[in-house]
Amino acid sequence: MTYILEAKELRKQYPNKLALRGLNLQIEPGEVFCLLGQNGAGKSTTINLFLGFVQPTSGAAYINGVEVASNPLKIKQYLAYISENVMLYSHLTGVENLALFSSLAGFRYSEKELLEYLADAGLPVEAVRRRVGTYSKGMRQKVGIAIAVAKHAKVLLLDEPTSGLDPKASNEFSELLRRLSQQGTAVLMATHDLFRAKEVGTRVGIMREGELVDVRPTAALNANELEQLYLTYMQ
Amino acid sequence: MIRSIAQKELASTLRDRRFVVLSVLMLALLLAATLVGRASYRTLQRERQVAQQTVNDQFHHQPNRHPHRVAHYGSFAFRPKAGLSFLDAGLDSFTGTAVFLEAHQQNSVNFSQAQQASSLIRFGELTVAFVLQLLVPLLIIFLCFSAFAEEREAGTLKLLLTQGVSLRRIAWGKIAGYGQAVALVVLPALALAAWLLLSNESFANSPDAWARLALFGLSYVVYFFLWIVGAVVVSARQAHARTALVLLLGCWMLGGIILPKDTANLGANLFPAMTKAELDAKVHEDAQKGIDGHDPQDQRSAALKANLLKKYNVDSEEKLPVSVGGLVMAESEAYTAKVYQQHFATLNQTYEHQNALASWAGLLNPYQAIRPLSMGLAGSDFAHYVHFQQAAEAYRYQLVQRLNALQTSMGYGDKERKLDAATWRAIPTFTYESPALGWALSYLLVPTLALLLWAVGLSWLGLRAIDKTSIA
Repeated sequence: MTYILEAKELRKQYPNKLALRGLNLQIEPGEVFCLLGQNGAGKSTTINLFLGFVQPTSGAAYINGVEVASNPLKIKQYLAYISENVMLYSHLTGVENLALFSSLAGFRYSEKELLEYLADAGLPVEAVRRRVGTYSKGMRQKVGIAIAVAKHAKVLLLDEPTSGLDPKASNEFSELLRRLSQQGTAVLMATHDLFRAKEVGTRVGIMREGELVDVRPTAALNANELEQLYLTYMQ
Repeated sequence: MIRSIAQKELASTLRDRRFVVLSVLMLALLLAATLVGRASYRTLQRERQVAQQTVNDQFHHQPNRHPHRVAHYGSFAFRPKAGLSFLDAGLDSFTGTAVFLEAHQQNSVNFSQAQQASSLIRFGELTVAFVLQLLVPLLIIFLCFSAFAEEREAGTLKLLLTQGVSLRRIAWGKIAGYGQAVALVVLPALALAAWLLLSNESFANSPDAWARLALFGLSYVVYFFLWIVGAVVVSARQAHARTALVLLLGCWMLGGIILPKDTANLGANLFPAMTKAELDAKVHEDAQKGIDGHDPQDQRSAALKANLLKKYNVDSEEKLPVSVGGLVMAESEAYTAKVYQQHFATLNQTYEHQNALASWAGLLNPYQAIRPLSMGLAGSDFAHYVHFQQAAEAYRYQLVQRLNALQTSMGYGDKERKLDAATWRAIPTFTYESPALGWALSYLLVPTLALLLWAVGLSWLGLRAIDKTSIA
């Protein structure tokens, strides 16, 4: 079976810290895999290795069967990324930011299509032509979501995407992830939000000190069991 | 991709109030420098034309005189301003504007603007070249120092890269965007300069002037490109925008202020030039070894006279068909001119060594490449000055020798007689033809090469360095 996301013995050693110790991970199309763990557990390093922003010390990461480290540009066509703090160009409006990032990804949309993407992401209509410098964190996050969706990526890499979002926005975001998952998009999400992980994830993985110590299907756990499991590993 | 990034950079830049304020100021300075430079050019040019016409009229309207009186009465050569010198005054303010042309004496070109100005001129003039060479790079620094550093600090760089754009393409997009922003500031001033040139009929019909203006503009395009690439590269290689700004300002000070002064001092120490007094003393000393036209007891004059008597097979000066005095004067003039040219060539060589050092310094510092290139294209550099000086000396020599020939033809007893006033009206007055662009370019090979090497080298090495920039 070809996995859309795969890590084989992925290891990352920083000068003063071993951030990842031989990670093995396979994610199928349509799966939402949530990485749980404390700060410094290796979640963001894993995301950065899949993005090609850091080079592995050993092992390899693959997206759609293509090795990331040796094809950093090619793999970008398969993925979209939303960080904890989506940072956009403050001098441009929401719709201009979306148009720019979409065109860089090779998609040229009409004004109408751009507005539809922003509306789908939940950005209020009156905000789309305002400069992003005036946006709240949640509004920027929504533009980030629109950018990711408009790219029609096979893989979505998310690093604490719901951090700082209000409950309504978080809920809309979960709904969006479910929709994308049904369309076959694979999601790898690093998060502290156990509730959101249980709600949208198909599997959860718990990371501790650079190791993936446990992987469970979310269907096999209720919210309390997931919390207990997480706390057990964090002790 | 590059176009999208360039458009974004341009849009962001134009919406940045700090840049708009700085740009408006810079544009105002450029336009003011162009207009003031042009007005000053027209005033000086008119003054010199009037002065040249006046001395020409005075020369032509001399009364009946002995030719040697006329040779001592002399004339003046006024240096016309080069067409583009209103854009770059170069050395014009410090070199002389007029030279007195007389017998036996090669006078220096005097009456520079600096001699007549206050000491403030030492701080430099507000010319278009000054703004383009030193102030526009400052604008570029403030525009570009955060090009990458701010994106990295803000987190937008990661989002850009996840769209599948390479760092190199982002860099080219930024360079193109900032280039357009700088063009918006500089182009109106160059367009105004072109319009002002067009409004002058003699320049409008001069392909040479247009070619010079085109190359002038092109040189600055390369110069600004260098600064933009440099600033973007520094921004990419520094972790923080603040560090990039400090580093770039340091480069600006080093290249624009410290290195040029050091190079000038080094040149003056390595190749010390003789003073005007030393030159005059040496010329005078060596001229003593030749015939003295004003000394009847001079032994070499006597030998010349003896040869003439022999040549014409006569036994006394009275029977000669030519004036001995005239021939002695001609011989003396030829010798003095030769002596002067030898010493002048030595002095000129010293200046050329100093200038060559400054030109080669362009390989280390692009400011020192654009400066001679800009002056040379504007016709206000040392080579153009020497060209005028040599033309004036050539005219002086021809004029004096023509008058000596007239004296010679007057025969024995010429000193008691005068030639008709109409004679002086037949003598052509001094006219100066500025050298063509091809001539000027032959002096500008090193700075041109240096600027191009900087452009190619910095793009190649800089963009390679950007490829290795850390992202996470």
